[in-house]
Amino acid sequence: MSEQTILVVDDDPALAEMIGIVLAGEGYELEYCADGADALDRFHEVRPDLVLLDLMLPGKDGIQICTEIRAESGVPIIMLTAKGDPTDIVLGLESGADDYVVKPFNPKELVARVRTRLRPQHAADTGTMRVADLEIDVDGHRVSRGGEPIALTPLEFELLVTLASKPNQVFSREMLLEQVWGYHYKADTRLVNVHVQRLRSKVERDVDNPVVVTTVRGVGYRAGAPQG
Amino acid sequence: MILSTLALVGVFGYMSASVGQNLFETRRDDALIEAVQASNAMQQIFDEAVTQNLTSGEVDALQDSALAAISGIISSRATTEYAMLRTDGQSETLLQMNDVQSQAFDTDLLTRDLRTAVADASETPFYQSVRIETASGDQPGLIVGTAVEVPLTGQYELYLMTSLQSTQETLDFMQLTMVLGGLALIALIGMITWMVARLIVGPVQTAADSSARIAAGELDVRIPVHGDDELAKLGRSFNDMADSISRQINELATLSTVQQRFVSDVSHELRTPLTTIRLAGDVLHDRRAGFDPVTGRTVELLYTQIQRFEQLLADLLELSRFDAGAAQLEIEPTNLVRLAEREIEAVEPLAAEHGTQLRLVAPGGHFEAEVDPRRIRRILQNLLGNAIDHGEGRPVVVTVDSSTDAAAIAVRDHGVGMTEEEAQRVFDRFWRADPSRQRRTGGSGLGLSISRDDAALHGGWIDVWSMPGQGTQFRLTLPRAGAHAVASPIELAPDDTQPLALPVAMPREGEGRPEERGSDEATLVDPSVSTTTEEVDR
Repeated sequence: MSEQTILVVDDDPALAEMIGIVLAGEGYELEYCADGADALDRFHEVRPDLVLLDLMLPGKDGIQICTEIRAESGVPIIMLTAKGDPTDIVLGLESGADDYVVKPFNPKELVARVRTRLRPQHAADTGTMRVADLEIDVDGHRVSRGGEPIALTPLEFELLVTLASKPNQVFSREMLLEQVWGYHYKADTRLVNVHVQRLRSKVERDVDNPVVVTTVRGVGYRAGAPQG
Repeated sequence: MILSTLALVGVFGYMSASVGQNLFETRRDDALIEAVQASNAMQQIFDEAVTQNLTSGEVDALQDSALAAISGIISSRATTEYAMLRTDGQSETLLQMNDVQSQAFDTDLLTRDLRTAVADASETPFYQSVRIETASGDQPGLIVGTAVEVPLTGQYELYLMTSLQSTQETLDFMQLTMVLGGLALIALIGMITWMVARLIVGPVQTAADSSARIAAGELDVRIPVHGDDELAKLGRSFNDMADSISRQINELATLSTVQQRFVSDVSHELRTPLTTIRLAGDVLHDRRAGFDPVTGRTVELLYTQIQRFEQLLADLLELSRFDAGAAQLEIEPTNLVRLAEREIEAVEPLAAEHGTQLRLVAPGGHFEAEVDPRRIRRILQNLLGNAIDHGEGRPVVVTVDSSTDAAAIAVRDHGVGMTEEEAQRVFDRFWRADPSRQRRTGGSGLGLSISRDDAALHGGWIDVWSMPGQGTQFRLTLPRAGAHAVASPIELAPDDTQPLALPVAMPREGEGRPEERGSDEATLVDPSVSTTTEEVDR
């Protein structure tokens, strides 16, 4: 596999360089951007495999950059947030970030988050699957309804495939955190909640009455039974 | 209104009664005087006329003329009836007069008492109230009796019956006037009361409503002010007060926003360089094997102190969020037993280092509690860390239980325990049980303070039981959704300790706390101690 490129969008040069040192040590290619206003241009220029995005930036707000990147690409985005304020994290996740690390983080944490998002996904599952009225082409990373393709980010795709791979099992939020996000002890269920909502908004015909990803009250989520 | 009506009825009733009484007495006195005059006149006629040689016929004529004379004396002839009756029980006399009576006089009306009284006392008149039956209904009347001594014929009783109908009519008219007047007066009083109420009570009511709305948070409510009277003055000063309050609240709100932004900014500004330092420290720490011993040790110190610094900063920021009132619950259905299992699992490596055995006892709590799992987890991490740190390698027991209105988690160690003074200060910021003790897990000294705030945010509380040599038990009690917990499902003092520690209520800063079960044992003398956290309103 060729070297994967990571774009670090952070206005603090020392931190950006330090992140670079850590990730370069893991074999990743690094690109930098220190100004929010230039972030999207740099993104087009670099075509990174993953974006590390600071939420507080001069020029343009990290949340807005996240929304703009998400509008044109499903590339994994990991937020770097300094605020412990929960609403900021939810805002970032809702604007499309796949995951987040709270400053101050340690190198292992950062590397683990990056690795999870860049790992080759679902080598075990192949072929096609059906959930409700959706067809999932696991190898081709494609989801469609009646031949109409539905664009999902890699994370959303993985979430859907994880649920669909065991249609009879109810996945607790903790199980999904472990399998999709690679967390073991940290149980930030907001990650799951927000991304299930984002996934539903793309694959459900009626978001208020979901049939693809159904909620099992008090337990978690499961994939809807195949239809048609 | 009711009072004035009652007063009016009372006054009018009294007036009516006394006027009636007075009228009656006047008429009675008149009647008595008339009767005496009539009887005297009659007596005189008889005394002059009756001689030995009178025939019965002449006597009768004399009687007629005497009665005619009476008529002249009586003022209201039309309404006065008379009767002249011979007194019973006299011996036969030479001459006798027949009992005479006017047509309308009904002798049945005379009572025996009256007749006897009249017969016995020849001079004094006696009277009796009667009810005269006439064609037009009953009328009140008065019979006055006097005795007349007719020479040679004996004693006769003269009765004059006067109708009081005209007096009664006067009284009735007067009473009617008074009733009508009274009703008019009551209506008038009612109207005046209503107008006074409108003029005075109305504005006061408006003021009361406005202050209630201001108290409910509508700070821009003001009272409309008209005129220049006392009420207007009240309205104006009320409005001034409201202005001043809303100004101060706005200032405080601004200050609070500034404070929160400051906390947020400090957080960002401090954390970014700290992150770089942390990353650098970690990279160095990972490579310390390749360094010479002095540099290696330096890197180790750097590494551990960065961690400590980081923890301190995180705790400080968390506390300032509580102080700013910016902390918010993110409620999720959470199984407390499962949460405890996970946290125990997470601290297992640390426990192993201390040789501490961790045990979970969960008779209850197997349901989805509506709590903020991040905060509960943080509390539990802190309590477990403390228990392992101070547990002297002896077993640590975590208990989860629930009742209908509360769930509780208790963490018990069998370590050194604390004295009463120590236990009372355990929730103070930066307080440490024993400064000379070697810190093993570090910690900022803010953990329990944060735990207490986290519990209070849930409407719950944390309290502590501790006894030197016996260990310590911290107990977190959380009310279940919609319930107001007053008792914890777990006893504060562990069962395995004798004598039993007493959950003596020792509220900090004079605040009350829920009663403990078994507080009736509180009179026993015991060296152990229990302190509690108060519930903090936010």
